[in-house]
Amino acid sequence: MNKDLNKVRNIGISAHIDSGKTTLTERILFYTDRIHAIHEVRGKDGVGATMDSMELEKERGITIQSAATYCNWKGIDINIIDTPGHVDFTVEVERALRVLDGAVLILCSVGGVQSQSITVDRQMTRYNVPRIAFINKCDRTGANPARVAQQLRDKLNLNAVMIQLPIGLESDLEGMVDLVTMKAIYFDGDQGEEIRIEDIPANMQDEADEKREEMLDAVSMFSDELMEAMLEEEEITEELVNEAIRNGTLALELAPVMIGSAYKNKGVQPLLDAVEKYLPSPTDVENIALDLDNDEKEIAVSNDVNDPLVALAFKLEDGRYGQLTYVRTYQGELKKGEFIVNCRTGKKVKVGRLVRMHSNEMEEIDHAGSGDIIALFGVDCASGDTFCHSSINWSMSSMHVPTPVISLAIAPVDNKSQANMSKALNRFSKEDPTFKTFVDHETSETIISGMGELHLEVYIERMKREYQADVEVGVPRVAYRETITQKADFNYTHKKQTGGSGQFGRVGGYMEPLEDEEYEFVDDIVGGSIPREFIGACDKGFKMSLEKGVLTGAPITGVRCVVNDGASHSVDSSDMAFQQAAKGAFREGYKKAKPVIMEPIMKVAVEGPSEFQGAIMGSLNQRRGVIVGTFEEGNYTVVEAEMPLSEMFGYSTTLRSLTQGKAEFTMEFATYKQVPKSISEELIKEYEDSRKND
Amino acid sequence: MGYEPLVKQNPLRVVDLGSKNNQMGLVMARAGLGKTALLVQIALDSILRGNRVVHVSIGDSIDKTRLWYDDIIQVILQDGSVSNPHELIDMVQRHRMIMTFKESAFTRARLEERLNDLILQDIFKPRCIVIDGFDFGGADRAALEDIKELMESMSLQAWFSVVSHRNDDRVSPAGVPAPCHEDDDIFDTVILLNPEADVIKLDILRSTSELPEGAGELTLDPSTMLVKSM
Repeated sequence: MNKDLNKVRNIGISAHIDSGKTTLTERILFYTDRIHAIHEVRGKDGVGATMDSMELEKERGITIQSAATYCNWKGIDINIIDTPGHVDFTVEVERALRVLDGAVLILCSVGGVQSQSITVDRQMTRYNVPRIAFINKCDRTGANPARVAQQLRDKLNLNAVMIQLPIGLESDLEGMVDLVTMKAIYFDGDQGEEIRIEDIPANMQDEADEKREEMLDAVSMFSDELMEAMLEEEEITEELVNEAIRNGTLALELAPVMIGSAYKNKGVQPLLDAVEKYLPSPTDVENIALDLDNDEKEIAVSNDVNDPLVALAFKLEDGRYGQLTYVRTYQGELKKGEFIVNCRTGKKVKVGRLVRMHSNEMEEIDHAGSGDIIALFGVDCASGDTFCHSSINWSMSSMHVPTPVISLAIAPVDNKSQANMSKALNRFSKEDPTFKTFVDHETSETIISGMGELHLEVYIERMKREYQADVEVGVPRVAYRETITQKADFNYTHKKQTGGSGQFGRVGGYMEPLEDEEYEFVDDIVGGSIPREFIGACDKGFKMSLEKGVLTGAPITGVRCVVNDGASHSVDSSDMAFQQAAKGAFREGYKKAKPVIMEPIMKVAVEGPSEFQGAIMGSLNQRRGVIVGTFEEGNYTVVEAEMPLSEMFGYSTTLRSLTQGKAEFTMEFATYKQVPKSISEELIKEYEDSRKND
Repeated sequence: MGYEPLVKQNPLRVVDLGSKNNQMGLVMARAGLGKTALLVQIALDSILRGNRVVHVSIGDSIDKTRLWYDDIIQVILQDGSVSNPHELIDMVQRHRMIMTFKESAFTRARLEERLNDLILQDIFKPRCIVIDGFDFGGADRAALEDIKELMESMSLQAWFSVVSHRNDDRVSPAGVPAPCHEDDDIFDTVILLNPEADVIKLDILRSTSELPEGAGELTLDPSTMLVKSM
């Protein structure tokens, strides 16, 4: 199949929670004839929106996983990734962004640019995703699209240019003026499916003329022809303006702003047109792969279907029929029945069934060309793996994955749950790189860890619903760490030579703090006081010691161990003996190196009405937070603070009751910092007590 | 705290920053000469002396304001005289609070409310406040006196920055240019940043104390934006 790649758009829809992403996607699918009825997200009909495929999402009215879906608008193939809005799921957003060529950033016309929009926008910038802004919910009381456009400029530093004007606002929203064509657009019919184009209402003509001038001024920067036409006062054609907007958007130097109300069925079709006109096709974007056979040299993928295949698995899902792997192809062609190679494992796999996804319904296909987003059945892989034709060994550049900051102990309630739980955990950790699970050797508890309370809660819910695994949940625990603060010497002899084969090894040297790295081993042995073959054992012994610190049992990071002296015995020295000696040496040095406990510090932003600023600051201050600053605009305020994660449990409830539910907060991991002395003493005591009880 | 050497070395000592009085200070310059850099150094000096400082930034973001501090601290740390850089960075963060306002949102009443929020809840008790971006063009004498009174009632030292314009040559008898040429008596200290061939000179137009010998030859190093004594 030689599909015209210019007619493909891979787009994402991302925004702050509750800005109406899912509703908008629903409308898009309706207008492109993919679905035949509209179900509201929290609709009375109880069906729920089509994109929220997981039961849990339907119940909570939020979108957790990015389901990929496909639709066709006026001959253009559009693949849509519906991305979650809550910051706890950002890895999902980031993974979705990785495979997108463009995005629609949805904003609420009342709430404007909220903290999550800022996070999402930063992610889009990181992955160079061109975007269109869509100011949704213009039918709501207090809607002010112009203010939101200004916020896009101020807060996100986007060159936001409105290319539409609303006709009426709030409950009077009738339609919009298109500043490119200079026509008014209205939406008729029960579900806005009939578009009526008329002249601009007389009372808006002046405003429209003025705004068009402003818009042309801004976009003419991106097209010499348009600039010339304006200077020469020639006729300015639609094509010229569209081309200029497209150039600016693709260069990430312009963000066209559109308006509407998905819920009221207004403005969705023009948005689809804009997706076609302004967002890039796969050929407009350069994607980089790393050649694993050539020292990870960067190579641009070709997008050519005749080249060897390169495809990225960006999402896994456990469907009714086994594992479903969402794949984006970058070049070449995926064909049913062919063999492809997983570059991470080197394993050859056969492409079984190939499907195009429409939320949780699917359509069987035989092959998929370059630039497409499709799903594979029965392919064993992890999320983020690259598949190639056997002739090449490329990997799509790695994704940025943050380390988990919170953990929970879980225990199955019965045997049946036990088996299901391990199945579920196995699946989740494959699907989501920020979700980790392991068994604590000392307590034999199963520990899950992730990016926040809600993140883990969702997985526990999913375990119950999708895997029938009932689990008991422990108290959330913060991922503390230990580190040393000064240099300390060690010199330890491990000796067991009382009959039989003995053990002997001496390890001498020092340890010192290491910044920004977890561990480093330095071999400074001269003259062979420790024989070559046992150096590795010393390293291993140190590494084993890092797993559990002596203060609270948390992992140790930021240590450089230098070995510069030692002794061995011609018969009794062994790998095992030197490992033991290194462990002893580490213990000896560690106590002298003034170990401290480190805790994760989160960057927290609380947003709400100004009248609550005092209360918000008070609540943050009580929780050992350092308030970095405040921002005020009109009656709206943002307080930014750095908070210890351990103090943030239950904060959403506190905040809600303090502010009558009018404020909200987001948080993301910032750094690790030393815990204050009083808390540190408490933690140490707690750890000692728990060890005594065992 | 061990930062006395840093405090003592500060060439800004000549303008009596550590005064017990609740003085009002003013930093004037044309756009882009380093007003904010100077305000940040005045704030840092107060912090290093153990005080808490509120940095009010009108029209700028929190991140941008923070970046000013980070940059200047990096320069201070470069000579290696501070033994524990992390501690200094942490100390500065704990002793500083940034308040940013949209131009239209800043009023005396709101500032008072915010400061009271901090002080009454015992969150943060500032001794010094720097106000960057205050609109002197749009404020009359009464508004300035009002703010001065607020600062006095809260026992705060206050430092303002103001942009002077090249094409406005009105000056007060003391040599203070517009837009503050009629209100310069409200301020105890006035520093004018004066660009010369390859340096930016600090002209001290008003000062509470007698300037010591050799004073008046302070400059801003254009590469680091740090105040230097010639």
